[in-house]
Amino acid sequence: MVNTAQWSGGREMEPPSSGAPRFRGAPVTVRPGESLVSALSRRGLPILQRSIRYHRPRAPFCGVGACTQCLVRVNGQPNVRACTYRPLPGDRIETENAWPSPTNDLLGVLDLLFWRGIDTLHGFRRPRSAAPVYHRIIRRLAGYGRAADTVPTTPVGAPVVRSTAVLVIGGGPAGRAAAGRLSENRAETLWIDAGPLPDSPPGVTALPRTRAIFLPLPDPAAETPFQLLASIDGVRAASIRARRVIVATGGFDAGLLFPGSDRPGVMTAEGALSLAVPGDAPPFARALIVGGGERAALLLERFGTFVEAVVAPGAIDPVVVERASALGVPLYPRSLLRGVQGRRRVRSAHVAHRGAKERFELRCDAILLAHRRVPNAQLLFQAGVRMHWRGAGGAYFPVIDHDLTTSVPGLFAAGELAGFTGTEAIEASGRSAAEASLGRPASLDALPARVPADGPHELEGYYRELLSGQFASGKLVACACEDVLLEEIRHAVRDGYRGIEVVKRYTGVGTGLCQGRYCLPDALLLLSILEGRPPESIGYITQRPPVFPTALSTFASLSDCAAPGGS
Amino acid sequence: MIAPARPEYRVVVVGAGVIGLYTAYHLLKGGFGPVLVVDRGFLSSGASGRNGGGVRQQWETQATVRLARESVAAYRRFGSDFGYNVWFRQGGYLFLASSAAEVGQLRSVHAVVQKEGLASRLLAPNEVPRYAAGLALDGVHGASFLRSDGTLYPFPAIWGLYEAIRSLGGEVLLGTEVLSVARDAGRVSGVSFVNGSVKTSVVVNAAGGWSKEFSARAGLAVVNQPSRHEILATEPLKPFLDPMVVRLSDGLYFSQTMRGEIVGGLTVPHPPGIGAGMATSPHFLTSMARALSTLVPRLRSLGVLRAWSGFYDDTPDGLPVIGEDPRLTGFVHANGFGGHGFMLAPAAAQRVAKSVMGEGTDLDPAMFAPGRFLGAPSPATVERLQLG
Ligand SMILES: Cc1cc2nc3c(=O)[nH]c(=O)nc-3n(C[C@H](O)[C@H](O)[C@H](O)COP(=O)(O)OP(=O)(O)OC[C@H]3O[C@@H](n4cnc5c(N)ncnc54)[C@H](O)[C@@H]3O)c2cc1C
Ligand code: FES
Repeated sequence: MVNTAQWSGGREMEPPSSGAPRFRGAPVTVRPGESLVSALSRRGLPILQRSIRYHRPRAPFCGVGACTQCLVRVNGQPNVRACTYRPLPGDRIETENAWPSPTNDLLGVLDLLFWRGIDTLHGFRRPRSAAPVYHRIIRRLAGYGRAADTVPTTPVGAPVVRSTAVLVIGGGPAGRAAAGRLSENRAETLWIDAGPLPDSPPGVTALPRTRAIFLPLPDPAAETPFQLLASIDGVRAASIRARRVIVATGGFDAGLLFPGSDRPGVMTAEGALSLAVPGDAPPFARALIVGGGERAALLLERFGTFVEAVVAPGAIDPVVVERASALGVPLYPRSLLRGVQGRRRVRSAHVAHRGAKERFELRCDAILLAHRRVPNAQLLFQAGVRMHWRGAGGAYFPVIDHDLTTSVPGLFAAGELAGFTGTEAIEASGRSAAEASLGRPASLDALPARVPADGPHELEGYYRELLSGQFASGKLVACACEDVLLEEIRHAVRDGYRGIEVVKRYTGVGTGLCQGRYCLPDALLLLSILEGRPPESIGYITQRPPVFPTALSTFASLSDCAAPGGS
Repeated sequence: MIAPARPEYRVVVVGAGVIGLYTAYHLLKGGFGPVLVVDRGFLSSGASGRNGGGVRQQWETQATVRLARESVAAYRRFGSDFGYNVWFRQGGYLFLASSAAEVGQLRSVHAVVQKEGLASRLLAPNEVPRYAAGLALDGVHGASFLRSDGTLYPFPAIWGLYEAIRSLGGEVLLGTEVLSVARDAGRVSGVSFVNGSVKTSVVVNAAGGWSKEFSARAGLAVVNQPSRHEILATEPLKPFLDPMVVRLSDGLYFSQTMRGEIVGGLTVPHPPGIGAGMATSPHFLTSMARALSTLVPRLRSLGVLRAWSGFYDDTPDGLPVIGEDPRLTGFVHANGFGGHGFMLAPAAAQRVAKSVMGEGTDLDPAMFAPGRFLGAPSPATVERLQLG
C-alpha cells in the first residue's frame, strides 16, 4: 500500500539553473511535483532504455524507482530513475546506453544476431590470444551510464539523526493505524514513509519522503537496540535509533513471465498508476489488465475507458466482474498469456484459456500487471526475522505470534507485509502491533484474516502450463535487469545446479538493479517446477542491503553516526 | 547427490570452495581416486563465492610471488582447460602508499617481484593518473603497479572445477556437514556425517574460515583464526577503471568488474571468530562509502547496490598452511589463505595434492608446513602485504 513512489528520488545534483528542463535537447513541460516519466508520457509512453545484453527496447515498468527501464543521465550524473525524478529548471537530461537513441539503437541488432542468447559462461574463450579484445567489447556493452562527468558541488547535507521509543515504518493503512494507536497512548513515536504523510496523528513525529534502506541486526544489549538507515528524497541520509520497531511496508505489484514480458507497454499496476495524474489520459488507449483481484479493480476504476480486457491467471473477483460489465470490458478468467506482438510497443497479446490449445489475439497497447502482490520484506530479512513460505501467497512472510511479534524481540510486523488481507484486518493488525510494542497484552483474540499458508499459488499451475508449451521464437527474458533468459535457467538445472542461491550465481538472475524484486519471486516458482520440489525447498532469497540502491555520498554522510556502539 | 556412492574413499576433501575443488581436481588428474568432496552448504556458499576476484603477484615473500605467478598462468588457461570463461582481465593492481613507511614497503615488494622477472613499477604520485584517472591524490606518497595482475569472476571457476571433478569420476556431496574425524592408532580412518560415515585414510581440511573449527573436530588445536570481512558492489557503469586499486593505509580496495560494477571493501574492526555471523554492518557501509567517494569523487552519487560479507582464514605469519599435520597421519591442511585463497588456489592446491600423493613439494616447510607453529616461538618468515 505504501512505497508508491511519491519521493523525489533524485541524486545529488548540480545546483539548478533556469529555463525549462531539457530532455535530449528539447524543452519539456513539467508540472509541479511531477516525475520526468509522467511529464514525458503526455507525448506517449517513452522508450528510455535499451537492455543490458541484447539492447532490447525498454519503457518504464515499475514506477517506484526499482527497475532498470527508465535510467537517464541528469546533468552529467548517470543512472537517475526517471520515474521518481522530479526535473528542476535548467536540467539537462540525456538517455544512456543507446545510439543514436533508445527508440532507434544501432546495437539493437545484437538482439537479432544473438537470437538464441549470448553465452558469457562458456563463450569467448577461443582463441586465448583474443581475450583482451573480448574483454574490451563485453566491457563496453556492460554497464548503463558513463561515470559522472563532474563532481556534484551541492552537498547531501547533514544527516537527520533521531532517537525514539517506537518507530513505525510505512504510511499505508496498517502503519497509519499503528501510529494512531500510539498517539492515543502518548507514546514517543516516529513515523516514516517513502511518500507523503499528511494528517499525522497528534504527538507523532512524521518524517515523510523518507525511505528505509537498511535495518541491521539489532544490538539487544543497547538502550536503543535498533538503528534504521534511511534516505530522504533519495539524497539526504537519516539515522533513526529506536527501542521498538513496527514494520508495515506493505507489498508491491510483482512481475510476470510470458513471451514478450519485457516489451515496452508491459508494466506493473504501480507503474501504470504513476504514469499519469488522475484526470489525465494515460499513455495507452487499450490496456490489458492482468489479474482478477483488488488491484485489478483499482486499475479498472482508474483507467476504465482505456481498458481493453481483463485477463487473469486464475478466477476473477465479483467486484472486478461488476465493474468490468458496467464498462463493457470483456473478462478472460483462467487464462494464459502466450505471447506478445510488437517490438517497440505492445500491439497485441496472444491469450489461451488454461488447458486449451487454441489461442486468440487481443489487440492492446499496454499490459498492466495486477495479478500478484509480494510483501516488501527486505527490512525483515535484514534484521534477521524468521520468515516462512505461505503457499497461497507464493512468497515468504514473517512468522508472527498472536500479538504480531516476530522472532526478533522488539520488532513487529503488521498489515499486508505480514500477510493480512482486507482493510479491516490490515488496520486491526496495525493497532494490535502498536499495543504490543507498548507491552500491552494483545488486543486481538485471534489473528484477523491472513493469506492462507497452504499453497499452491495460482501461478504454479500457470507456469507449469507455460513451461510445457512450445515457444515459437524469440527470447523469454526471465530477469529483465540482467537480460537472463528462461533457457539459461533451464540449462543450469539440467547441468545439475540446484536451488535459488546457486542458480542465481550461475545465471545472474536476480543480480540486477532491482535486486531480484521483479524476477526472483517467479524464479522460485519456475525452479520448483524444473527441479520437481516444493518452492519452499528452493531456498530463501538472501536480501542484501540496501533495499534500494543508495548513493555513496548518502552513506558517507552517516559515517560518524554508524560507528559500533555509537549514538 | 544426497549420499556418497561408496563406503570408502582414498581421499575425503572437506570444503567445496576453490581450494577444496582444485585439490580434488589435481588428485583425480594424478589418478589418486576415488575422491569425495563434502560441503555443508551449497556450491560457492563460502568465501569462494563472496570475494573480490582480485589476482595479484605483488608480494613481499618470493615463494608467494611464485605461487601467484603460476596461478596467473593457470587462470589464463582456465577457459581452455575447464570450458568456463572466468573473464580473467589483466588490468593490473595499483597499490597506493600514504606515508614514507608504506612507500618503503612497496619498494621492498617491488624488489622481490622484479627478481621473479615480473615488470612491476614504482610510481610517483603524478604518474598515478596514467593508470587510474580521477583519483583524489592528496595524501598519496607513491604507488606501485603490475600490469599482469588482474581480476576474475570467481563463480565460473567454481562451476568449471565442479564439472571437471565430476567428469573425472570424483563425487561432490553438498548440503552435508562433516561432524567428526575417526582415528585409529594415530591415523585418520574415516569421517562421519549426520546420517552416515565413510572410511578413508586421508582427510583434507579445506574448510576456509571454518578450518579451525574443523581441525578441532579432529582433536587438533591450530593457530588459524577466522575474521569477518565486508564488501559491496555498486550500480554498473561503463568501463572507466582498469586496475584493482588498493590503499595500504586503510585497506580500501576496489575494481570495476566486467559487468561494470565497482566491487570493493575496506578493513573495519570486527570481533574475531565466526560467532557474529555474516550480516552487513552500518559501520562498514558508511566508512567504505566515505573512503571510496573521497578517493574517487566522481563516484559520489553512484548507488550502492548490495553489500555482503565472508570470512578470511588468517594465520599469524600471513602465509597459508599446506601439508600433513605432524600430530595426525592422514590429516592434511589446505587452509589459512587469509584474503588471498582465490588468487593462490591453482598453484597451492597442486602442492596440497602432491603432498597427499606423497610426492613431496618445492615448498619451504618453515614457511608453509603446519608444523611451523608447533613449539616455535615465532614464525620464521612473515608475509606482510595482506591488504587487497
Ligand atoms: C570479502 C572477501 C574478499 C576477498 N577477496 C579476495 C580477492 O580479491 N582475491 C583472493 O584471491 N581472495 C579473496 N578473498 C579470499 C578468498 O575468497 C578465500 O581465501 C578463498 O575463497 C578460500 O577458499 P576455500 O576453498 O579455502 O574456502 P571457502 O570457499 O570458504 O570454502 C570452505 C567450505 O568449507 C565448508 N565447510 C566448512 N566446514 C565444513 C564441515 N565441517 N563440513 C562440510 N563442509 C564444511 C564451507 O561450507 C565452505 O563452503 C576474499 C575473501 C572475502 C571474505
Ligand atoms: S529483474 Fe531485476 S534483478 Fe532480475
